[in-house]
Amino acid sequence: MIPASGIGWYGVALAIVGGALRVSTPYLFVSLGEVLTERSGRVNLGLEGTLLMGAMSGFAIGSMSGSPWLGVLGAAATGALMGLLHAGICNLPRVNDIAVGIALFIFGIGLAFYLGKPFIAPRAAMLPALSLAAWSSEPAVRAAFEISPLLLIGIVLAIVLQWAIFNTRFGLFLRMAGESADAARALGRSVNAIRTIATTVGGAFAGVGGAFLSLYYPGNWNEGLSSGQGLMAIALVIFARWSPLRCLWASLLFGGASALGPALQTVGVTSGYYLYSAAPYVLTLALLIYSSSTRHTLAGAPSELSISR
Amino acid sequence: MSVDMQNMPPPCVEARELCKRFGAVQALADASLAFTSGRMHALLGENGAGKSTLVKCVMGYYRADSGTILVDGATHAMRSPLASRRLGLGMVYQHFTLVSQMTVAENLVLGRTQVPLAIDWKAEHHALDELMRRMPFRLDPARRVSSLSAGEKQKLEILKQLHLGRRFLVLDEPTSVLTPDEADQVLGEMRKLADASVLTVVLITHKFREVMRFAQDVSVMRAGRVVATMDVATTSVDALARLMFGSNTTIAMAQPSSPATTAGDGYCELRDLRALGDRGTLAVTDASLRVRKGEILAIAGVSGNGQKELVEVLAGQREAESGSILVGGRPYRRTRSEMQRLGVYVLTEEPLANDCVRSLSVAANLALRRYDRPPIAWHGLLRRRVLRQWAERLIDRYRIKTSSPLARIDSLSGGNVQRTVLARELSEDVRLLILQNPCFGLDAVAAAEIRGQIAQARDRGAAVLLVSEDLDEVLELADRIAVMSGGRIVYEVDRANADRYAIGRHMTRSMEAA
Amino acid sequence: MQANRGAYRGARRAAENSAASVNWQLTTDFWSGIAGARDALEAICLSLGAIVVALLLFGGFVALDGKNPLAVYSVLYLGAFGTRFSIEGTLTQASPIILTALCTALPARVGLLVIGGEGALVLGGLCAVLTGVAVAKAPAFIGTLVALLGGTCAGALWIASVGALKRLRGVNETITSLLLNYIAIALFNHLISGPIRDFSITLKAQSWSVPQAFGIGAIPGWSVHWGLVIGVCACIALFVVIRHTTLGFSMDVLGGNRRAAQVAGLPIGRLVILACAIGGGAAGLAGAIEVLAVHGAASESLIVGFGYTGILVAFLARQNPLAIVPVALLVGGISASGGLLQRRFDMPDATTQVLQGLIFLCVLASNALAGRFRWFAR
Repeated sequence: MIPASGIGWYGVALAIVGGALRVSTPYLFVSLGEVLTERSGRVNLGLEGTLLMGAMSGFAIGSMSGSPWLGVLGAAATGALMGLLHAGICNLPRVNDIAVGIALFIFGIGLAFYLGKPFIAPRAAMLPALSLAAWSSEPAVRAAFEISPLLLIGIVLAIVLQWAIFNTRFGLFLRMAGESADAARALGRSVNAIRTIATTVGGAFAGVGGAFLSLYYPGNWNEGLSSGQGLMAIALVIFARWSPLRCLWASLLFGGASALGPALQTVGVTSGYYLYSAAPYVLTLALLIYSSSTRHTLAGAPSELSISR
Repeated sequence: MSVDMQNMPPPCVEARELCKRFGAVQALADASLAFTSGRMHALLGENGAGKSTLVKCVMGYYRADSGTILVDGATHAMRSPLASRRLGLGMVYQHFTLVSQMTVAENLVLGRTQVPLAIDWKAEHHALDELMRRMPFRLDPARRVSSLSAGEKQKLEILKQLHLGRRFLVLDEPTSVLTPDEADQVLGEMRKLADASVLTVVLITHKFREVMRFAQDVSVMRAGRVVATMDVATTSVDALARLMFGSNTTIAMAQPSSPATTAGDGYCELRDLRALGDRGTLAVTDASLRVRKGEILAIAGVSGNGQKELVEVLAGQREAESGSILVGGRPYRRTRSEMQRLGVYVLTEEPLANDCVRSLSVAANLALRRYDRPPIAWHGLLRRRVLRQWAERLIDRYRIKTSSPLARIDSLSGGNVQRTVLARELSEDVRLLILQNPCFGLDAVAAAEIRGQIAQARDRGAAVLLVSEDLDEVLELADRIAVMSGGRIVYEVDRANADRYAIGRHMTRSMEAA
Repeated sequence: MQANRGAYRGARRAAENSAASVNWQLTTDFWSGIAGARDALEAICLSLGAIVVALLLFGGFVALDGKNPLAVYSVLYLGAFGTRFSIEGTLTQASPIILTALCTALPARVGLLVIGGEGALVLGGLCAVLTGVAVAKAPAFIGTLVALLGGTCAGALWIASVGALKRLRGVNETITSLLLNYIAIALFNHLISGPIRDFSITLKAQSWSVPQAFGIGAIPGWSVHWGLVIGVCACIALFVVIRHTTLGFSMDVLGGNRRAAQVAGLPIGRLVILACAIGGGAAGLAGAIEVLAVHGAASESLIVGFGYTGILVAFLARQNPLAIVPVALLVGGISASGGLLQRRFDMPDATTQVLQGLIFLCVLASNALAGRFRWFAR
C-alpha cells in the first residue's frame, strides 16, 4: 500500500482514490459480465470460481509465455469456458441457475487451486502500469494515480456495452430473453442460445477481472487472492440497476470503500477496519430492502430473473 | 406495408370439416367455415363452443385430426404456426405477447425477420412514424409498453401484425380489456381496413353489439360445430341468441330446495368488493352479493369478467383492494381457524394447480382440511395410519379411481382429481361452499354425480356460491342467478323468473349499456 | 380452452417450475408403499448415478494429470473410510456440515433458497463464546448448554431475518442470505480483533476462550466429539417433525404448492420465518459446537467454508434431513481424504473441492432426467 509518510488525512483521500482506481477493475469486469448474464435472464453465482480460474490461467500463461497480455487472453478463454459450463447445465430443464452457480463456485475455486499449484510463485510477467500523475513529485500521489491499462479497457467496455445493449440487434435480443421468454419464443428466437452466449461472454469478462488480480495487483498467485469479489459483483449489479455505466461508478465506489479500511489504518485509525469492509454489503442490502416490494418486482430488474420474482 | 400488397386482394381462407379431439373432449366436430376475402367475419359462440380451437387449427397452432384448410383455393397442411405466417395469416391474442419493459419501437423492430446489426433509432422512429401515418392507429414509438393502456397495447399488437405484412387477421376477443370507446375505435378501424380490401378480419367475440355493428358476416358455433353462417344484415340479436344458446331445451332441473330450508339468513356477504387482476387493472368492481343458507347462488358469466379474481379473493389467494367479506355476520379473514370454525370450503378452477399439492399423495391431499384435527392429529402429531384409513374411506365413498391412496395425486385423471377435491370439501360440515367450474372437463356421468352432491350440500343447509361459465349448469342447479360482467354483478334473478336468453344477453352485454 | 386461461396457466406453470426446481422430489412419501417407494427409489438412483458420473469425470481428470485413476479412487476410499483414523477424520468433518446443510434444507422445504449457513455458523460460534463467558461461574453441564443455546439463537435470529425480509418486503432470500454472510464475517472479524480479543495470543486474532469445563468432549473410545451425535439427533428430530407432526405437514404443503397453502388458510409468513429460524439455528449450533468442541475460542479457523459445503449436502440429499446424514458422511469423507491424497500423490488440498464441485454439478444436471425413465413411471 502507499505510505502515508506524514501527510495524514490527505493521504487517506489519496489512498481512497488510488484504491478506487485500482481495486475497482476486477469489480468492473466481473460486474459487466454479470450484467450481460442477468440481462439475458440468468444469475451466475459461480463468478468467484470463474474469477479465480481466470486469475490462475492468466498467471500461468503469462509466466509460461512471458507475455502478460497473452495471459489476459488465456484468462478470458478460461472464463468463457466456465460460463459455457454454467449455461450448458442451466439449459437443461428443471435446473435451478442459482444452485448451479453455487456448484460452479465450489468447483471453480477447487479447480483453480488444483491446476494452479505448480504456479504459486511470487511474480510472473506483470501487466504494465500507466502513470497519470507523472508530473507530481510526491511518490504517494504518483502511486495513487497509477492505473492499469485494463481499467481503461474496462471503462471503454462499459461505455460500449451501455450503447450495445440498447442499440444493437444482439442487445435487443438479450433484453427480450431477459424480460419475456414467452415473447421470445413467440417470435421464434431461441432463448437458450441467447442466454448461453451472454453467460459465456460474461464468464470471459470475469476471467479478465481475475487476470487483473494475478497480473497486476496484487500481482501474484496464492490462496488468499480473492476475497469474495466475484460474489460482491452480484450485489454490485443490483446496486447498479443492471446498467453498465452505473456499474462503472459503482465499481469505483466499492473500490474506494474497500480502500477505506487500510487507508485509515495508516493514519492510526485501526478500529473498525472490518466494519468498513462490510460497508458495500450493508449498502447493497439497504438498497435492496428499500427498493423491493411484495407488490411488484425490483425496478429495472429483468423480469425473467429468478431473483427478482 | 409494401407497395405490391395494395394491389393484391387479401386472402380468403376456408376450413372444411375440421375435427379435433382433446382427450375425452371433442372440440371440433366437422366444423366448416369460409372467410371471404376483404370482409369482417364474426365468430360467435359460448365458452367451449370451439371458436378458439377452429381458428388455432387454421393458424397451425393445433393440427386438426381431419379436414382440410384452404387459403386462396389451395390446400395447405398447417403443420406449424410458421406455415400460416408465411401465408400472411396472423392472430392477435387476448394475452399480449409484448415485452413490457421495451418501447413500442423496440417491440416492432423485434418482430421483424431481419433485424439490423446496429440500430439507428432516430431513423427507425422516423420510419415508424411514416408507417403509422398510413395505419389506422398511431402510437408514439418512444413510449414504453408498460405505460400503455390496455387499449393501446391491443392496438400495438395489431400494428405488429400489420407491420409484418399479415393480411388475414384473427382477433381473439380483442375488446375484453378495452373500454367501450376504445373497443369501438379498434373495431371501426379494422372494418375500414377490410372495406379497403387491405385485410380479411375474423373477429372472435361473444358480444352481440359488436357483431351487429361492425361485422359483415357472422358464424355461430356450438359444441364444436358451425351451426349457421349468414350475412349480418339479414339477422337479428334474438336470432343469434337462439342459435348460440340453443333452442327450447328441457332444462334438467335438479330437485328444488324444500321450503323449510330456503330463505335462510345471509351466511356470506360481499360488500363493494374490489380486487385487482394480474395485470394491475381492476378486475372486480364493487361486487356485492349475499348468499343465504340452504340456497345455491350461481354467478353466470363469460370467463375473464372477474370471476377468477373473485373466487381467488374468497379462497385467500388474492388480496382485496377494498370492500368487505362477511361470513356468519363477522369479517372473514380467511385464516385456517376461521375456515374450520365457519365451515368454509372452496373448490377453485384447475384444482390440480390451485387446490392440490402435486408431489403429495392422494391421501395427503384428501386430508388437507383435516390433518390438524382429531382423529388424524393428536396433540400436534400426525397419525399417518389414521390418515390413510380416513382417506381410504373417502376414496370408497366418492369412488375416486386411484391405484393406491398413497399414489401421487398428479397420477390421477382430471376427473378423479376433481372428485378428490370435492370429496375433501364436501365431506365435512359444510356451511359455506364456494365452487368454480366444478364440472369442467368432466364427462356427463361424473358431472351429473357432482352436481347431485352440490344439491345435497345445499339441502343440508349450506350456503353455496357456484361460479360457472356453463349456462346449462347454472340453470340446472341455481336457486338464484347473478350475472357477472366486466367485474360487476349486473343482474340478479331467482329461479322462478329465470329466462335463458335474458341471462345470456346480460352475460354478453358490454359495460356501457349498464 | 380460452386463450385467457392458457396464458394464465402458462404464467403459473413458470412460477411452479421455478419453485419446483428448488425442492424437487422432496416430499415423497418415502416409507409408505410401492408408489411412494418408486419416487424415492428414483431420487436415490439419480443421485447415485450422478455421483458415479462425477467420480468417472474426476478419474478422467486425474488421468490427464498423469495419475492412475484407480489408484486415486482407492486412496480416496482409504482416506475416507479405510482406517479408523480416516473414519474419525470423516466423522469430524461431517459433523458441522450435517447441521449447516439443515440451514439450506429447511427453508428449501418451504420454497426458499437460502445460502446463509456460513454467516449463521460464524455468528453462532461468536455467541457461544459470549454466552459461555457470561455464565463462566455456572456448573459445567449448564454452561455448555447455555453456550450451545446462545449460538443456536444467534443463528436462528440471523436467518429468520432473511425469511422476514422476504415476507415483508419481498426481498430475494438468496441475495439477502449471501450478503448477510459477508456482513456476519465482517462483524465476527471486527469483534475478535478488538472488543473480545484475547491479547495473550499473538499468532492470530482470537476471542476470549470459553471456560475449559464447558468444552464438549470426545465420544468414549473415539477421537470424535459429541457434536456429531448432536447433529445426527437434530436430523432425526427434524425428520420426525416433518414426517409425523402437523407442522411438518403444513411445511410440505407450503413447499409443494403455495396456492394450495393459501386455500388451506395456512399461516404462510409464520411458517417461512419458522423454517428459516430452525435452519439458522442449526447452523448456529454447528458454530457453537466447533467452538466448544474443537477450538475453545472463536477465531478465523471457524471460517473454512462449512456453510457452503452444507449447501452441497442439502442438494445431494434432496432436502431430506434423514438423507443428510449419509450424504454428509460421503462429502465429509471426501474432504477428509484430502490429506492422504496430498501425501500420496502430491495433489493439492483443492482436489477434494474439485470432486465435490463435480458431484454437485452432476446432481443438478441429473434433475433434468427426473421422470424420464419409464421404469420409475407409473
